[in-house]
Amino acid sequence: MRRNWWHAYALAGLVSVIVATAAFVSYRNAAFERRELGRATHAATSVSKGLRPMDNVVAAYLVSPAVPSEHYEFLRERSVTEADGSHRRLGGKNAGPFDKRIYDAANQYDKSGPFVQLVTDTDYVIAAQPASGGVAVAITTPPKGPEAFPWLVVLGLLVMGSLVCAAGTLVGGSARPLGLALGASGLAVPTFLWSGLVIALFLVACSMLIAWADWRGSLERAGRELRKGGIAYAFLTPTAMAMLVLVGIPFVVGLGLGFYNNNHGEWTFVGLDNFIQILSGDGRSLSDPLNFWFTLGVTVAWTAVNVVLHVSIGVALALVLRQRWLKGRHGFRMLLILPWAIPNYITALIWKGMFQFEYGAINSVLSTVGLDKVNWFSEWSTSFASNVATNTWLGFPFMMVVALGALENIPSDMYEAAEVDGASPWQRFHHITIPHLMPAMLPALALGAIWTFNMFNVIYLVSDGRPGGGTDILVTEAYRWAFERGERYGLAAAYATIIFLILILWTIIGSRLAKKDAE
Amino acid sequence: MNRRAPKPISQGLVYLGISMLTVIVLYPVMVILKKAFEPGRNFATSVSPVPTEFSLEHFENLLSSANSSGDLLFLRYAWNSTLVALATTIVGLCLACTAAYALSRFRFAGRRFGIATFLAVQMFPGTLLLMPLYVILHKLGLLNSLLGLVLVYATTAIPFCVWTLKGYFDSLPKELEEAARLDGASSFKIFYMIMLPLAKPGLAVTGLFSFMTAWNEFILASTFLTDDSAYTLPVLLKSSVGQYSADWGLFAAGAILTSLPVMALFYFLQRYLVGGLTAGSVKG
Repeated sequence: MRRNWWHAYALAGLVSVIVATAAFVSYRNAAFERRELGRATHAATSVSKGLRPMDNVVAAYLVSPAVPSEHYEFLRERSVTEADGSHRRLGGKNAGPFDKRIYDAANQYDKSGPFVQLVTDTDYVIAAQPASGGVAVAITTPPKGPEAFPWLVVLGLLVMGSLVCAAGTLVGGSARPLGLALGASGLAVPTFLWSGLVIALFLVACSMLIAWADWRGSLERAGRELRKGGIAYAFLTPTAMAMLVLVGIPFVVGLGLGFYNNNHGEWTFVGLDNFIQILSGDGRSLSDPLNFWFTLGVTVAWTAVNVVLHVSIGVALALVLRQRWLKGRHGFRMLLILPWAIPNYITALIWKGMFQFEYGAINSVLSTVGLDKVNWFSEWSTSFASNVATNTWLGFPFMMVVALGALENIPSDMYEAAEVDGASPWQRFHHITIPHLMPAMLPALALGAIWTFNMFNVIYLVSDGRPGGGTDILVTEAYRWAFERGERYGLAAAYATIIFLILILWTIIGSRLAKKDAE
Repeated sequence: MNRRAPKPISQGLVYLGISMLTVIVLYPVMVILKKAFEPGRNFATSVSPVPTEFSLEHFENLLSSANSSGDLLFLRYAWNSTLVALATTIVGLCLACTAAYALSRFRFAGRRFGIATFLAVQMFPGTLLLMPLYVILHKLGLLNSLLGLVLVYATTAIPFCVWTLKGYFDSLPKELEEAARLDGASSFKIFYMIMLPLAKPGLAVTGLFSFMTAWNEFILASTFLTDDSAYTLPVLLKSSVGQYSADWGLFAAGAILTSLPVMALFYFLQRYLVGGLTAGSVKG
């Protein structure tokens, strides 16, 4: 026996009320603004024609053009025509309460022509219209209390809808989903009047979807799941809400920004232009550091070289540190993980100093040995190598510690048994050590690759992209487009989206490979 | 392999190699130590990592430098850093502990999706969200405010805390909960009266790690904070060795004071970190 019809109807009704309320509020605000702006414009036009404005107008004047003050030439004065035809200078001793606003409005009119605007923080509407002998300025206040929410309409429609829905259920058969869809779509009619066809159709589609889900029994199953996991969902809710606000919203905003262009704070929709510009290389040659594909190549090379170095040095050290005969191996371990303990921006800044041309420690070592000093950041290869050296220095301890942990878990009798069976050291390494090492190293490798791919601090602080942006990786490139090359926020957001897609792709491929490996 | 030691000559080679690596690891640290206690602004004046002169002038300069209104800068930034890191930790732990418990103990529809989401958000770097966060904070007027920075840090702190705490709850025995349930305790009571007290060590370790992460964060802080009264320590250190005027002595002194506490913490906690990081990726 299927559950009562009103469960599904309540869900559909809730969705409808939320959407309809949003539609009504936005419609009301827009209508309010339109009406008030129109009223202010009308008042200004009346003044310009020499008529008296209507009520609810706070101030309306014919304002004269600005003329230099008699005493001080840099001051520019304006005067207004009072109702009795006399003239009064704006500002000064007996200034009215709105003189400053009127003066500013007249200035804005001189600069950019007729306008009307809502001053949101003070609830005034200001309009300026052309008039003979100056400009007509009117300030109006909107009446308090905007239009009330039409509770009666909404309630009535909901009750009517519930009747239709109940009737459909009584008839039974395919009348049930039909009744539900029809009844729940009721609120689409006023929504159509408030916000147009698209939103209304969306409501109808929602109702139909819910009716269909109810018909299929999916709603019932979802309800059962929800009840079963009720406590778990209660525990999850605070975190989920926080994540939605703190991560979800910026994420969606970031995805959206990629389709816009920012020009001094003005956002214009440009569709796929940013993505096309990035992926086509923007007409630059492949060897140009600003070409996306060049940066991608550098990033891949950077990740590959680093991960290979981290893993090989880390594993080699772990194999050595495991040997019982090595004296002071705990001391060595403590010293060798030091780079991991230092905050990585400090490490990067230290190495930037080490690679300095004049006083850097590395050039000091070179000249002590009798070699020439190297200008590390003037060539791509040496600059790239400096970044790699820094990142290897700070990155290998993680791999070493992971490998040590995995090696400690190998039971030593395995080696003894293999030795008894006459296995050579190489065979023991190949058949015992490597298979035990892999399960721990693979996830560490995936994690390390993602970290390196996005290692902002080292690139930004050590080579800073020198020479000419050549050693920049994708994340630093995106950052520069946003904050160092004319606030191209849209382009930077598109870059971030592309980086995100690459990472997703890499994660999917990685987990597929891991699964295949496990089988 | 483990049993018999190799020939002395290969042992010698191993000692040589590992000692050289240790020297390479220690050298930059020694140079910075030397710089901190040696007068002068330049990075290195000789190859030797031993200071020729000894003075505390860099530390004195660092601790006594003040802005126009008389605030002691280093102390002020240290206070900012502490405040931001503490607030981030508290927000992260409070919001994460219930979710971590739910993901660890309950089976419900959407659990796998939840775990995958937390893992993905924790893995992907904050720099990807930097742009939209900047635009949003700008709109809200929260640039240059420590509150804004805490909100930004929470985006990575919450998933990190959820993930590590879940690992800790997984390791706790289930018997106590079952006994309490038989005695008629509600789920919330079990969580509040039994699980949270049991998880204290896990909460402490997770909290310390998220404190360290916030304390060490550089790029978001230096992008969002442009007013020098709101700086945190990393922003100060970066600006002390800028493009045009670099004072490496000041930097070295600041780097030591800034990183010593977190390095001590790191050595104290490192064995927990590896377990958490790799266990997470293996099971996910």
